[in-house]
Amino acid sequence: MLPANFQFSQSNLQDYVDCPRRFQLRHFQAQAWPGVQAEPVLEYERHLERGARFHRLIERHQLGMDSAMLAATVAGDAELSAWWRDYLHFDYLHDLPGRRYPEFSLSVEIAGARLVAMYDLLVVVSGERVVIFDWKTYHREPSRQWFLARLQTRVYPFVLVSSGTGLSGGNLLPEQVSMVYWVAAAPLEPVVFDYNSKRLAVDCDYLSGLIREILTLGDGSAWSMTADESRCRFCEYRSLCDRGVYPGLLENISNIDDNIAGSVGFSVLGGVGEVGF
Amino acid sequence: MAARTLFIEGPAGVGKTTYALRHIRDLLAQGTGPETMLVLVPQRALGRPYQAAFTAPDWPGGAQIDVVTLGGLARRGLETFWPLVAKQAGFAHPEWEPIFLTIETAQYYMARFVNTAIRTGVFDSLNLEPAHIMRQTLDNLSKAAVNSFPLDEVADRLIAAWGDRHSSRPPVYRASLDVAQEFRDYCLETSFLDFSFQIELYIKFLLNEPLYRVYFTQRYRHLIGDNLEENFPVVGDFIRWAWDDLDSALLLYDTDAGYRVFLGADPGGMYELKELCADTQVWRDPVNTSPVMVALTGDLAVLLDPGREKPVQPDVNPLEGLVYESFRFYPEMIDWVVDSIAGLVDSGVPPREIVVLAPFLGDALRFGLSTRLNERGIETVSHRPSRALRDEPAARAILTLMALAHPEWSYRPPVDDVTHALQETIDGLDPVRAWLLTQIVYRPSRDDLGSFDIIKSDIQQRITFQVGERYHRLREWLLEYGSGAERFPPDHFLSRLFGDVLAQPGYSFHTNLDAGRVVAELVESGRKFRQTISMYHDVEDWSAVLYEYFSLAHQGMLAALYVASWRDEEKDAVFLAPAYTFLMRNRRVDYQFWLDAGSDYWWERLEQPLTHPYVLTRSYPPDQNWTDDLEFAARRDALCRLVTGLVRRCNRTIYISISNLGISGYEQRGPLLRAFQQLVQRYPAPGGLRS
Repeated sequence: MLPANFQFSQSNLQDYVDCPRRFQLRHFQAQAWPGVQAEPVLEYERHLERGARFHRLIERHQLGMDSAMLAATVAGDAELSAWWRDYLHFDYLHDLPGRRYPEFSLSVEIAGARLVAMYDLLVVVSGERVVIFDWKTYHREPSRQWFLARLQTRVYPFVLVSSGTGLSGGNLLPEQVSMVYWVAAAPLEPVVFDYNSKRLAVDCDYLSGLIREILTLGDGSAWSMTADESRCRFCEYRSLCDRGVYPGLLENISNIDDNIAGSVGFSVLGGVGEVGF
Repeated sequence: MAARTLFIEGPAGVGKTTYALRHIRDLLAQGTGPETMLVLVPQRALGRPYQAAFTAPDWPGGAQIDVVTLGGLARRGLETFWPLVAKQAGFAHPEWEPIFLTIETAQYYMARFVNTAIRTGVFDSLNLEPAHIMRQTLDNLSKAAVNSFPLDEVADRLIAAWGDRHSSRPPVYRASLDVAQEFRDYCLETSFLDFSFQIELYIKFLLNEPLYRVYFTQRYRHLIGDNLEENFPVVGDFIRWAWDDLDSALLLYDTDAGYRVFLGADPGGMYELKELCADTQVWRDPVNTSPVMVALTGDLAVLLDPGREKPVQPDVNPLEGLVYESFRFYPEMIDWVVDSIAGLVDSGVPPREIVVLAPFLGDALRFGLSTRLNERGIETVSHRPSRALRDEPAARAILTLMALAHPEWSYRPPVDDVTHALQETIDGLDPVRAWLLTQIVYRPSRDDLGSFDIIKSDIQQRITFQVGERYHRLREWLLEYGSGAERFPPDHFLSRLFGDVLAQPGYSFHTNLDAGRVVAELVESGRKFRQTISMYHDVEDWSAVLYEYFSLAHQGMLAALYVASWRDEEKDAVFLAPAYTFLMRNRRVDYQFWLDAGSDYWWERLEQPLTHPYVLTRSYPPDQNWTDDLEFAARRDALCRLVTGLVRRCNRTIYISISNLGISGYEQRGPLLRAFQQLVQRYPAPGGLRS
């Protein structure tokens, strides 16, 4: 039995896919466990904070605040300023007409549970299409295949199409949806995934199956642990699972945000507020 | 004006929230976008029925509906629109992002100014701990913010209310407000925002910002305001600000409540929002409430506050809803409560349907009840919001180890604390051996812990070599850490000690989930403390920050957050809580146990000489003296609201326990007891009543 008010998301489903035991501890039992996730800790934190500020900056811009005023707020941070300049040159977004919905969340019912998606930005061209934007502050650009394998690439378009949202002025067809990853390490080469009906059906089957599988698991015993023990070095529960003492080094992983930051949540009002970057 | 506006008033249990959820479903069915709805509640706990409905699988898909408090809305608005506010509000570094202070960090910074003022002797006429001066000064800032009073008005009101009792108090009020102003100036220098400043900036600046108005009015078209009566006056200002652009509004008002007056809630002022609404309804008939409880509510209300009009009520004997027992001594009363709960559980009542309520829930009472019930195989959960984190055994142990790792500090933990820390953390170390080990390896006059190797072999054998090896590893870690202590902020120290040693096999936190939760809270508070201090300043040497954090925790200024307790409350366990805490959960249960009904604490309010919950409200005349008559009337009204609120949240039976002699040994005869005695005399005793 999952906790009351529990909602599935790309983040917690990714946890389950990576390690069922981590999902059980982090989400099923909401077990706080203060192990260090990665070294050096301060550098890891600074990266997360910078990523959060970048998201906030874009949200402000998309809400209509003046870009010169916003630039002044990041003048003291060279890396953030560089990301900001790259973002301002992201013509793919800026040339796109349509209403902007920054930091917007949608949810749907699936397999007897709720699945939620929190979007960095939705751009709705009424009656035509909806584009999902997601900001990734990675220092190295992952491959397209890596993105394709992430739960986020499945969950976000699926929830958008399935939620029956009236944002686009009518029923939204899968073919009207695309998802764009903007990566700080390669700002001129956004990774674009167009959605379609076939993909929707596949995702629906996959996500339903995954959620049903989780819902059948009871809390009587420990769920299975990942076979890939390298993940444990970046997991706060490694001591509880007898999977090592010391945390892994940041330099040894490529995309720290999605690999280890799944638990970083900014919950302002009790809603789901994951920061995936 | 909003096109469709409805104000519904009625007591708890008449179905107002259920109606609001139906109203939201109706709006959705009409094609209204869920993202355009805003559910406004005074406290997060009161938003739980909405959160539960919106996250249920059968709720319609689409955008998420925001369930917010004004504080949450202010914080989110300031985070997002900060550049529009920072400069005009006068911040020294408008380019800096705001730093949101927790209660602990606000107290920490306030302490600097309070301690300076204390040294001047200005607070000498008050017999008050510095921590209380800090809290009440912060409280005055909050009262100013939630009423939109200038700080000067707070002082003026307090002085006017004090009247001519004696002349020492007015300068103290002024001093408290001077300290508050110094703190506020410091916040402007550093971009710090405590709760009061967030509210003030939101109301004063952000609501007047055209871009925010555009954002808000495009986003939110439908307002649902529940438990209006528990809101601060500025919530009324906010609703009036939003009103003209709304397409619909539903406002719900609980006529018997207003439990948060001591925090600044303004039930009377919020009731005036009724005038904005095109339609108003009064709901009186409780849904699924037993006639006995309805009768009990009405009778008690009139007995406690004779000025109240007695409502029309069913022709039943209210005593059928009571079990009433009186004892000479406090422990006998506790025995009876435990026995009665065990009897209910044995007869098939789920523990979750039982709550034990007291005006205050001290550690001894909480521990005593929990232990006794646990011994009977009955699980308990408790909530005491003001409990200090250092009172948790795991927190106390790790804080002691923190002190041992820093021999350069002037503080040396007492021997008992070291014994406790070793026993609490080393697996297999019982109290006797822990005491023995501590006696040998620890001297408060020495700089560090002694080695296990220097202990005589026969004593080593008694302690056991396995425990010795574990002690050795812990000691080595502390020594090694000490050689580079300046590199680690407090949260990193705690995380590392936990992960590297205490959560490893051979140590008691290895699979101790509760200890993990407590240390995680400690780490989180340490992280926030450190981030507040270092956000805009590079820190090369963390030693001073670490010591400051330790001092805060050690003085009990870090409150246990009980994040997990929300989950705990879902458990099938008896809930132990202060009465107001239970009320603000807005739960109904089958059985309530009221402890020590003779105690005056049921109607006394906290002694707060530097502030005043009634005087510092808009509805109180600014130049009026606060008289004993007003105090009596306020207490009577508060007790009446408390008692009727509790009865309305009981489905079956209330167990009233009375101890003639209180926990301190004094005879008790408080107003709650007197009301019960009158009630018992008024009706014939039914079969179930004992007295």
